[in-house]
Amino acid sequence: MPIQDRTNEFRSCVESIRNRSSLPRGAEAKQRLLKLQNARGGVENKSEFSRMASTIGKEISTTTIKLGKLAQLAKRKTLFDDRPVEISELTFIIKQDIANINRQIAALQAYVKQRHALTSKTVEGKQVEEHNNNVVMLLQSKLANTSMTFKDVLEVRTQNMKESKDRQEQFMSTAATSANQAPSNSLLFANRQDPMGDGSGSRPSSKGKGRATPTNDMLAMDLVSAEEGSMNQSGGAYMQMQLVEQQDNYIQQRSTAIESIESTIAELGQIFTQLAQMVAEQRETVQRIDADTVDIASNVSGAQRELLKYYASISSNRWLMLKVFGVLIVFFLIFILVS
Amino acid sequence: MKVFYLAVILAPPSGPSTNLVNASDLSTFSFYQKGSVGEFMGFFSKTVAERTGQGQRQSVQENTYVAHVYNRGGAEQLVGVIITDQEYPVRPAFSLLTKMLDDFTAKVPQSSFGNPSAISFPEINVYLQKYQDPRQADAIMRVQQELDETKIVLHKTIESVLARGEKLDNLVERSNALSAQSKMFYKTAKKQNSCCTIM
Repeated sequence: MPIQDRTNEFRSCVESIRNRSSLPRGAEAKQRLLKLQNARGGVENKSEFSRMASTIGKEISTTTIKLGKLAQLAKRKTLFDDRPVEISELTFIIKQDIANINRQIAALQAYVKQRHALTSKTVEGKQVEEHNNNVVMLLQSKLANTSMTFKDVLEVRTQNMKESKDRQEQFMSTAATSANQAPSNSLLFANRQDPMGDGSGSRPSSKGKGRATPTNDMLAMDLVSAEEGSMNQSGGAYMQMQLVEQQDNYIQQRSTAIESIESTIAELGQIFTQLAQMVAEQRETVQRIDADTVDIASNVSGAQRELLKYYASISSNRWLMLKVFGVLIVFFLIFILVS
Repeated sequence: MKVFYLAVILAPPSGPSTNLVNASDLSTFSFYQKGSVGEFMGFFSKTVAERTGQGQRQSVQENTYVAHVYNRGGAEQLVGVIITDQEYPVRPAFSLLTKMLDDFTAKVPQSSFGNPSAISFPEINVYLQKYQDPRQADAIMRVQQELDETKIVLHKTIESVLARGEKLDNLVERSNALSAQSKMFYKTAKKQNSCCTIM
């Protein structure tokens, strides 16, 4: 949930309660105010302490706001719209703020110790001292929470970077990058576990914060060292692969040549089959031609027979011949007689 | 594509290598170059033979020449080297080396390895000449070539069969027409014979 500044609401609530409250409350408040005003000697110290504490608290709250923004930026999973410059700037700023706050809290603690040494051993002093210690403890725990959130955000960021790198590889896959990924992952995870193993909630925040920033640096360093290490490994692996490739190459060439021969033979088989099929189709045509030729032969021979018969009948029919000549002579006689 | 140099080298893994047999075809070089080119090839083949591991094949390129090296290792520690130009196909080169080494170990006993000048292996020259044309010499390539020729012949055959089919169709049509005509002829002749009297 993003941090919201609800100071004004708080103030209005206080005002309304104060207005609603009865007189003794007001007297108590006035008493407190009077006390504050009377105990000037201690007030300055107290107010100084409270001022320091309030500044620290404000800085913690601003840092938390910035951390919320960084978390949102790191959550983005787009491939192209990544804004690494902003993210790294923000990370740097947050780191510096956390270091600052840590220093201030350490100074406050030292101041409190100093005060504790100076103040009297009265009950009130003890209470004040206890209150101061509690406030310091509270601030430290707040800072520890902030740094834990910071570390979580960095984890999310590295995970997203890894995912985007994986997705980039899907579009331009190379063997080298995959060799890079595995070692960097293992190293990262190995180193991240140790700092996180110790709970930093209850510890003084100096140590807790001290773990958070080296984690970031270790992340950066390990990525670099992992890349270099795996590059050397993959270089050697490449050379070995080339030698093995050479060996395989000859054998593979042989097998491809023989495979091509086999496919050529198969093609030849197919061609032969096609050839046989075509010839079989033509057989029917040839048979038709044969049948036709036989028909022609028989027709022609039959016709010749008829003609021969006719000729025989012509040449052997005397009665017909006499008839023909008789008609001719009749006509001839008629023409002679007429003319 | 040409083969320039062919050699069988004795190359023990530790120690110097000695050239046992070699054959070279330097006819493409001018007379004055032949000597130096021959020496260069001898030296080159020895160097790459020494640098090739046991049971490994390597191809090394040097200016315009390519040397294919096959270290057969084994008991005889023999290495076959062939130097060709860049066009020569790689695979037949290696199969030539394998064949040559097998032939060599079959013909020449191991005892004479120490005395290179006494080794007589004239087949190396035969190999060199034969493999100038890898397509004919290498078995696989020859088979492939013959198959390609057969395929071309078959394509031509199929084309001619198609033409034959067309001609046959033509013939069928014509014989059909002729048959009809002859039928008419027969009928007419018959009609003339059996019809009524003349005139």
